[in-house]
Amino acid sequence: MMKRYDLIVIGAGPAGLSAAIQAAKNGVKVAVFDENKSPGGQLFKQIHKFFGSKEHKAKVRGFRIGQELLKEAEQTGVMVHLNAIVMGLYNNKEIMVNENDQTNHYKADSIIIATGARENMIPFEGWTLPGVMGAGAAQTMMNLHGVKPGSKVLMVGSGNVGLVVSYQLLQAGVEVVAIIDAAPRVGGYGVHASKVTRTGVPLYLSHTIVKAEGTETVSGAVIAQVNSSFQKIEGTEKHLDVDTICIAVGLSPMSKLLKMAGCKMEEAAGDIPGVDENNQTSLEGVFIAGDVAKIEEASSAMITGRISGISAGRYLGYIDDEVAGNDISKLKNSLAQLHKGMFSPENKGRIDIEETDEGYKTSESLLKKGYIDDNEILSFPGVPKKKVVGIHPVIECVQNIPCNPCQDACKNGCIKVGEIITKLPAVDPDMNCIGCGLCVALCPGQAIFLVDDDYSDDYATVTLPYEFLPYPKAGTKGIALSREGKRVCEAEVLYCRTNTAMDHTALLTIKVPKEMSMKARFFTAKEAL
Amino acid sequence: MRIDKHPVLEEFEKGEVVEFTFDGKNMFGYEGEPIVAALQASGVKVHRHTTKTGEPRGVFCAIGRCTDCVMVVNGKPNVRTCVTPLEKGMQIETQYGIGTKE
Ligand SMILES: Cc1cc2nc3c(=O)[nH]c(=O)nc-3n(C[C@H](O)[C@H](O)[C@H](O)COP(=O)(O)OP(=O)(O)OC[C@H]3O[C@@H](n4cnc5c(N)ncnc54)[C@H](O)[C@@H]3O)c2cc1C
Ligand code: FES
Repeated sequence: MMKRYDLIVIGAGPAGLSAAIQAAKNGVKVAVFDENKSPGGQLFKQIHKFFGSKEHKAKVRGFRIGQELLKEAEQTGVMVHLNAIVMGLYNNKEIMVNENDQTNHYKADSIIIATGARENMIPFEGWTLPGVMGAGAAQTMMNLHGVKPGSKVLMVGSGNVGLVVSYQLLQAGVEVVAIIDAAPRVGGYGVHASKVTRTGVPLYLSHTIVKAEGTETVSGAVIAQVNSSFQKIEGTEKHLDVDTICIAVGLSPMSKLLKMAGCKMEEAAGDIPGVDENNQTSLEGVFIAGDVAKIEEASSAMITGRISGISAGRYLGYIDDEVAGNDISKLKNSLAQLHKGMFSPENKGRIDIEETDEGYKTSESLLKKGYIDDNEILSFPGVPKKKVVGIHPVIECVQNIPCNPCQDACKNGCIKVGEIITKLPAVDPDMNCIGCGLCVALCPGQAIFLVDDDYSDDYATVTLPYEFLPYPKAGTKGIALSREGKRVCEAEVLYCRTNTAMDHTALLTIKVPKEMSMKARFFTAKEAL
Repeated sequence: MRIDKHPVLEEFEKGEVVEFTFDGKNMFGYEGEPIVAALQASGVKVHRHTTKTGEPRGVFCAIGRCTDCVMVVNGKPNVRTCVTPLEKGMQIETQYGIGTKE
């Protein structure tokens, strides 16, 4: 006999789980199907702290958000079918599922599709060699299975996925030889780029991959410069000594099931399903959520998931119109906060943004070189322009991205973002900083440093966020690196602090010559050189 | 290679250490982890050779979608090793085309 539910959700990522929880809370009998042996979608691979504000679970690491969702799903009685590949969706809301090599059919009165996205690929000579893999594959291997995907990696793509996975490779103890991108600008957040650049990873923009070298496995890569029409410039080829090439050139919605069921796409041949304001597709009672609807981030996937969960609950008669309408409009406000600023959906791909929302000139070097240049840094509101006596925060957050944990982190009110979470954080010049460093540890972009120019006659201290092992011990001598990742001066570790609230972001305080306090932004121990 | 210590993830949940064979050689891995994790940890990157041209293939998606990682496991070909848990005593062989090497 065919099993029936009120609602079937396909995909147990952040979108699908949020949708299921939201519906189940309202009494809907929900089953979620996922092809993996454990639920969570991409969330359990995301080990960095999330952006946004408190309501978006900002400053919490992705996998912890995943754990919370799983607990909630269990408490609300969501039934989760794992190792269950949904092979077919029929327009009578029946699904065909492959479970343990058996084909089962299930039926529901409403369906939510939250199948996420797949990684795009670019073909190049040698791209099928073992050692060439999706950035997602590298992330899965190291963050889920604890295995390094290689020892020397070339990352192709400077969007957030390429940048974040590069940083995670460094954290896993893998060398990132270079990050390249065919575009002339960094695709992802400047803060994500900065945290890899300052460790010394070179960024080659306007560069493409020409070939993967090797016969059995990757033994090297050839990259070359491209012109403004993305054509390779002959004679600019460069060999890189790598054993792994990770591809992070974008994601596409996995909308196959929707197409199969006859759902209308936004563009006839496209991958993006058309939806109404409640995430309902052209098929009545069939809703979508998360990356399959629009490629975004896990934080927005959770919100669109909840919207679809409520919409399905209303469609099924479990939630009355008014309540549903109110809840949906609240969630839309929350989503709108994430949709502001330089990387908002309407600004996607724009390269002509010359000023921040506040009217500061944007940092050119951040876009073109992956770090903020010395001569730009002073113009931003998080960086004091006049001399501050004693320890104080220096906030190198210069793009309008939706994020505000720094504001709450400071109990003394030194840091202000304001109501609109995409505003740049400003530091109060008459601040009363006690040097607790919580802002440094809680900034998801790792863009805050504490500087004390009055440490001694000749020396200043810089406190930086540090997420690598081993933690350098007090007294360790080494080299300070600049934002650009260049060695700028000798440095000595004064202390390395951690506590539970900081959740594995250590505060590393180094002593540097006074004139280096606005240059030194990373530390490498001598023995590591 | 395995990650011994990770700055954010305190530990990776792993099963018992078990022995398995790769093309007849004895190797060790953790029970329940995907076969690829155990192979990658021992430095094995080539999983199969294609039918027509014999080109090597290895892990590409690591989530069961691309079939580049299929191998012959306990005599059964086309097993996606990135989503198949390692078991004690498994016989894992490089796949040539649709089977093992003659
Ligand atoms: C490599 C990579 C890195 C990323 N890094 C970040 C990041 O650092 N920060 C961030 O905020 N966002 C990041 N994202 C984006 C973020 O992961 C996604 O926006 C978010 O996970 C989308 O949630 P989702 O629920 O829509 O999809 P997913 O999390 O992808 O979940 C979809 C689930 O559906 C399952 N599924 C698909 N098809 C079927 C089927 N037919 N049958 C059964 N199950 C199926 C999938 O296996 C998966 O488990 C990244 C994405 C990728 C791919
Ligand atoms: S690596 Fe793609 S299916 Fe295993």
